[in-house]
Amino acid sequence: MKSRSLKLREAHKVGGSAAFCSILWDHKAEHFVTSSSSDPSISVHDGLSPSTLPPTILRHHQDGVTALALSNDSTFLASGSIDHCVKLYKFPSGEFQTIITRFTLPIRVLAFNGSGSLLAAAGDDEGIKLINTFDGSIVRVLKGHKGPVTGLDFHPNGELLASIDTTGTVLCWELQNGIVSFTLKGVAPDTGFNTSIVNIPRWSPDGRILAVPGLRNDVVMYDRFTGEKLFALRGDHLEAICYLSWAPNGKYIATSGLDKQVLLWDVDKKQDIDRQKFEERICCMAWKPNCNALSVIDTKGKYGIWESLVPSSMLSPTVGIPDILPKKRNEILNFDDEIEEELYGVSESLNDSLVDSDAGESHHTSRKRLRKKTLIDDDADAYEELNDGSSLPSASEYRKKSHRAHREKQGAKSGAFKSISASTRYKMQSPFQPGATPLEPGKRTFLCYNMLGCITTIEHEGNSRIETDFHDTGRGPRVSSMIDIYGFTMASINESGCVFANPCKGEKNMSVLMYRPFRSWASNSEWTMRFEGEEVKVVANGSGWVAAVTSLNLLRIFSEGGLQKHILSLDGPVVSAVGWKDHLAVVTHVSDCLPSNEQVMEFRVFNISKMTQELKGRVALTPGSRLTWIGFSDEGSLSSYDSEGVLRVFTSQYGGSWIPVFSTSKEKKQEENYWVVGLNTTSLYCIACKHPEIFPQVTPKPILTILDLSLPLASSDLGAASLENELMLKQLLLYETQRRVDDMALVGVDTTALEDEAFDLEVSQDKCILRLISSCCSSDSFVRASELMKLLTLEKSMRAAITLVTKLKLPFLAEKFSSILEERLLEEANEAITDPSENPNREVVTRVESKVQNPPASIQTSENTEAAVKSSATKLSATTLVRKAKVSEGLKLGKEQTKKDETEDAKIKEIKKLNLKNPVNNVNKEDKGQKKGVNQGEARRSSNPFLKSTV
Amino acid sequence: MAGQTDPHISLFSPQEVEFMAEDELVEIVPNMNMEQLNFISGDFGRFIPQIPTKVPLWLAVALKRRGKCTFRPPGWMSVDNLTQILEAERESQSTFQALPFSYVEIARLLFDHARDDIPDMYMVRSLVEDIRDVRLHKLETNLGSFQGTSAVKISNVSAMEVNIVRPFVIRALEAFYKHDKPEADVDRDTRSSRQQREANNEPRRPLRQR
Repeated sequence: MKSRSLKLREAHKVGGSAAFCSILWDHKAEHFVTSSSSDPSISVHDGLSPSTLPPTILRHHQDGVTALALSNDSTFLASGSIDHCVKLYKFPSGEFQTIITRFTLPIRVLAFNGSGSLLAAAGDDEGIKLINTFDGSIVRVLKGHKGPVTGLDFHPNGELLASIDTTGTVLCWELQNGIVSFTLKGVAPDTGFNTSIVNIPRWSPDGRILAVPGLRNDVVMYDRFTGEKLFALRGDHLEAICYLSWAPNGKYIATSGLDKQVLLWDVDKKQDIDRQKFEERICCMAWKPNCNALSVIDTKGKYGIWESLVPSSMLSPTVGIPDILPKKRNEILNFDDEIEEELYGVSESLNDSLVDSDAGESHHTSRKRLRKKTLIDDDADAYEELNDGSSLPSASEYRKKSHRAHREKQGAKSGAFKSISASTRYKMQSPFQPGATPLEPGKRTFLCYNMLGCITTIEHEGNSRIETDFHDTGRGPRVSSMIDIYGFTMASINESGCVFANPCKGEKNMSVLMYRPFRSWASNSEWTMRFEGEEVKVVANGSGWVAAVTSLNLLRIFSEGGLQKHILSLDGPVVSAVGWKDHLAVVTHVSDCLPSNEQVMEFRVFNISKMTQELKGRVALTPGSRLTWIGFSDEGSLSSYDSEGVLRVFTSQYGGSWIPVFSTSKEKKQEENYWVVGLNTTSLYCIACKHPEIFPQVTPKPILTILDLSLPLASSDLGAASLENELMLKQLLLYETQRRVDDMALVGVDTTALEDEAFDLEVSQDKCILRLISSCCSSDSFVRASELMKLLTLEKSMRAAITLVTKLKLPFLAEKFSSILEERLLEEANEAITDPSENPNREVVTRVESKVQNPPASIQTSENTEAAVKSSATKLSATTLVRKAKVSEGLKLGKEQTKKDETEDAKIKEIKKLNLKNPVNNVNKEDKGQKKGVNQGEARRSSNPFLKSTV
Repeated sequence: MAGQTDPHISLFSPQEVEFMAEDELVEIVPNMNMEQLNFISGDFGRFIPQIPTKVPLWLAVALKRRGKCTFRPPGWMSVDNLTQILEAERESQSTFQALPFSYVEIARLLFDHARDDIPDMYMVRSLVEDIRDVRLHKLETNLGSFQGTSAVKISNVSAMEVNIVRPFVIRALEAFYKHDKPEADVDRDTRSSRQQREANNEPRRPLRQR
């Protein structure tokens, strides 16, 4: 095996002496690129069958190509040449884009950063140029090397750049500020003026180690922060190493030496596994990204692919590739202390090798560990034990001790807590954010989901990425994704902005509240608040305000710009909060859990702009359940959903009560759990999750299901549950609408639109009642039918009901119904007399209306004497009644309407009967009615269309 | 039909068949708010973000192109279901599995416009292609042996498949018809010859009685 030779094929003609050649794979292993410093052309070879397909030749340089670089996503290829130019191409098409920069001397090396936004170029010139690839502008020139720079490598997270010069000095740059984080002077062999040999530094794929060829024919590994030497790979190289390449997963490293052999190393065991001898010196190597193969190119421009070099008994080099997301440049510039911690390579085997290292190293490890600890306690404990066993430097020991002490204190606290709650055994519900799903490591979860949009987060290598999406992509503002260094766990979103908060983790990380407005006239208008000794538990936002409830039971209200407006002390630990326009609803615990496992909670609804408390009351829950969602319906009524699947809406009926408007148990599909998102007056918007799942997944994007609201009605002998349900919902809705009309009228706002709505509701409610009457009649429950008759609001529909029962051959019921109608008419007449004085507001509205509509009405009345008689009996006071009459002509009552036409005769009889009875009431009404001239005229008109349609 | 490419052999072009298939309803998840659309064929919408609604395929494609919706792949277009269908198709030589009447066209339109909305797109695509090939082959072999009657009955044949075999079947049936009733043919022959003569303005000759 060791003597196996590899067949090489010529890619570039190299005449005379050795030339430095390069080879590169793209990220999908579809193509590879070669170049030579004695050949001005670049060859793009097909990765699958390099032997059969001729390579694409890119000939744009005037002189030999010394450096090649591909961006991480392989969309751009950069080449540097002895002709002093750096050129950019599209890849894999090879289309020439631009000369991105020029030097005064040959270029030796190029490197893209992880996101491809920066290109570093260096060569015989003084200084490393950092070039913005978008516009070709020079971001920074890093000066510090004493000789030509031959090697550059960006750290996988894109914050550090390692460079090496011909004298063997390594510099590690911090890209944010361009300062040198460490210098390793003369650690690599001095290559002198031989341009065919280069020194190169290489970061390990997980970013923890920097590998540099050493002076003793070895590879030396350095720590990424301190530049401390960690260990060296020494073996069978007889001469200095001139090139090295990490396997994609960082477990192996391939090195090429001046002794014309390539060695493969197992990094964990620090041993060489395999070797390959070549005729010429291999000057460049590249691992094939997705397979166990290494491509090599020698100084004569001949390339070859060493297939399956890692023995099959060992882990494949493509398994367990660390996934480190590069940061975008703008984020790099907002550098923060915590970024240092964001990188967290979990290579346990490497850990072993690091144990014998210095204080600085373990310091880092333990800090990282501490962060993790809050999440995975057991793991952290195990680690602590492990570390206690080994000899650890005092600094980290101390840290750990203090931390443990802190933990014990916490433990004591919770222990005391437990002893109290031990008697009840049930725990008070912990705070939650409506529309959030629990955090899962490695998975994207919802921080917030509502009818407007959602905020999702995914934890990755210590920090999180947060995405904000609106469901309506056309109208909602576009919000860029955000790198979250705080680890936000709470969020709330509305049209104007989103607010985030994180819990405090350990003594170092304070709880932070952050607000990002979506549209702002000023730049940089996002703001943060830090809370010392206090932890944000719940956040909410509304129109122009942001609220946070903290562990000190403080409700803090901020303006949109970050002004601290109000601080209120709540009288209990918070459970949840939600905002809607001016309204903020906060749910708090009142007391410990009841022995029957019932949570005792209270809610308040504040009006932020008016600084008032609009509602206050207890939260109703199904016994044994927890509150899982609160929110406002589209119309603004407070709603709650509990873990037993009951949705409740708070109404002002009965002095403020919760009405259960939906119950999962009544729904037929038992195998689904509903995760409520929102509701309106008739339906519930939710995400249906297949049974064991309670929370929706972020991908695939969940879709909303619309469910009709259905009250948990008892099963009635009537067998018309859906009608009963409909009726109750309509009554509820009508009640709410009328209440709003009253409220608005009181303030003097125009209520026409709402009145129209209320009227439509009445019509549909009557339709529903008529259908119920019909089903009552068919099941012979006549008392119920007559009760329903009394519920009818429109005179027209009452008459239709009479017609209906007549048609159903129930004369006694018809009799009863007509007497109810009569009573009603009488009542209304009386009301008309007394009402105006009681409710002046209403009267105003009525008068305005009647003024407008009087003239045509009076003409009609003169034609019809019968109408005049009746009109006195129908003195309608409320504006809604005016409307009823006005529209009643167009009112359709379904089947009943057609029946009515058929039984016209019956109806005429009916009317006559009524008329016979009417005069009795008439006498006293008429003279009283005269006083109310305006009202009467209006009433007359109102009854007219009805008569016209019937006679 | 009006748009037919070749009315003589009752052949539609694939584009025409596809055009007709665009009236099939598919489910989409819009990401915009829009009022109900009132068309002659019916009312569609209203469109609320994240709430699935059914619209004709052509409308769905138009919305998708503008990035206003995502498709929900139809129930039959799952890898499991298609694998089952493919197996069943291969098993029985005479019957066809139930698939939507224009499954080829729907699949094609979805593959063209909604590749990101179909899970396991490549698998689904190859399965649909396999199913189509198997069915076409079966149809052709079945037709090779049909009995001479006045009609052919094969259930569950899709629009595209019918379109392909229609010319052959019609002509074949016509031929059978001709052979079954020679007298009728004679009549037709004489009629046509008469017309010819009239066209030629030749003097009319009495027919010779046989």
